[in-house]
Amino acid sequence: MSVVLILRKQEFKIEGTITVKEALKRLNLSPESHLVVRNGELLNENDVLRDGDVVKIVPSISGGGR
Amino acid sequence: MTSNVSMKCMKCNERAVIRMRQHRLALCKDHYIEWFVQQTQRFIEKYHMFTRDEKVLVAVSGGKDSLALWDVLWQLGYHAEGLYINLGIDEGLHYSNESERLAREFAEQRGLVLHVINVEQAHGETVPEIARRTRRGRDKPCAVCGLIKRHDMNQAALELGFNVLATAHNLDDEVAFLFGNVFHWNLEQMRRQAPILPESPGFARKVKPFCRFSERETAAYSLVRGIAYIEDECPFAEGSKQLLYKDLLNRLEEVEPGAKLRFYLGFIEARDSGQLVLPREEEVPLELHPCPRCGQPTTSPGLCAYCRLFERESLEASETQRPSG
Repeated sequence: MSVVLILRKQEFKIEGTITVKEALKRLNLSPESHLVVRNGELLNENDVLRDGDVVKIVPSISGGGR
Repeated sequence: MTSNVSMKCMKCNERAVIRMRQHRLALCKDHYIEWFVQQTQRFIEKYHMFTRDEKVLVAVSGGKDSLALWDVLWQLGYHAEGLYINLGIDEGLHYSNESERLAREFAEQRGLVLHVINVEQAHGETVPEIARRTRRGRDKPCAVCGLIKRHDMNQAALELGFNVLATAHNLDDEVAFLFGNVFHWNLEQMRRQAPILPESPGFARKVKPFCRFSERETAAYSLVRGIAYIEDECPFAEGSKQLLYKDLLNRLEEVEPGAKLRFYLGFIEARDSGQLVLPREEEVPLELHPCPRCGQPTTSPGLCAYCRLFERESLEASETQRPSG
């Protein structure tokens, strides 16, 4: 078992218990431009992810022409 | 080792869904929604964007920011109708059609009026097709896309009887634009960057009620409100300078909370107080002429830049008539 993080249809796995903040850091993702959702619920950076959790990473940054 | 210090809402002590370090504030879902809506109203009043007697046309793309803006204005009780422009971007993702579906669904769920413009139906070509055919869009369709959106939004606002056009530009958009303009010393653009551009003959007033919210905050609002928005990035945005600047500025924000907001507000304050002196508008105001085709103001006599995009027939004719050799 592990924590599964899904970012734009790509899956990442992290073993063990970890906070949202640590998980984003592990994936080299800025917490300023990514949010994490578990079962439709927005998580804060101190919330803990545990084995078996499947969470979605939502990029908050978008951009093109102005 | 995992430190499990649960984060609580500073208003009710329930579990927080977001922490905003620049405001030293953590809030639960309900208090975050309340705070976000109240802050929007505060910005509307602070910058004198519009009153409750005015009709507002909201430019919606099907993305998180614009649907959030329409949702907030609806909650605040403003007369806000939506405008969606289908640009005909597909690239295997059905990007425009899916965005339109989400914008329509949003409007139907709330009983709101959505006006739709379809570029291909209006001109017989999609934005990527127009871009491939014209010099302006030779490298990337973004410049053509921007020109078409600005023109169609303004024209729709005027024709539909709205004197206010609201866009969902957020703090990250504004700061990335400002950063790019400073980096390239584009002083003319810096003169015009503001939360509100007043109306003038032929132009609707343009307002940005979300200009002080970070993109993370607008995304969080859409998520906690359960708004279904297009999550795919525009396929042409990949590799854009705006995305690069946003990423750089967010890395800075991580180590210096509030840096983006201070950069933006500092600029607005310095310019408006006269501490930062930018080139003034021409002493003699630019003479604007109505475009003979669409009627919108343009700086030089003849067709405006938008209408020149669709001058294919006459361009092709002039090419064939040009003497060879």
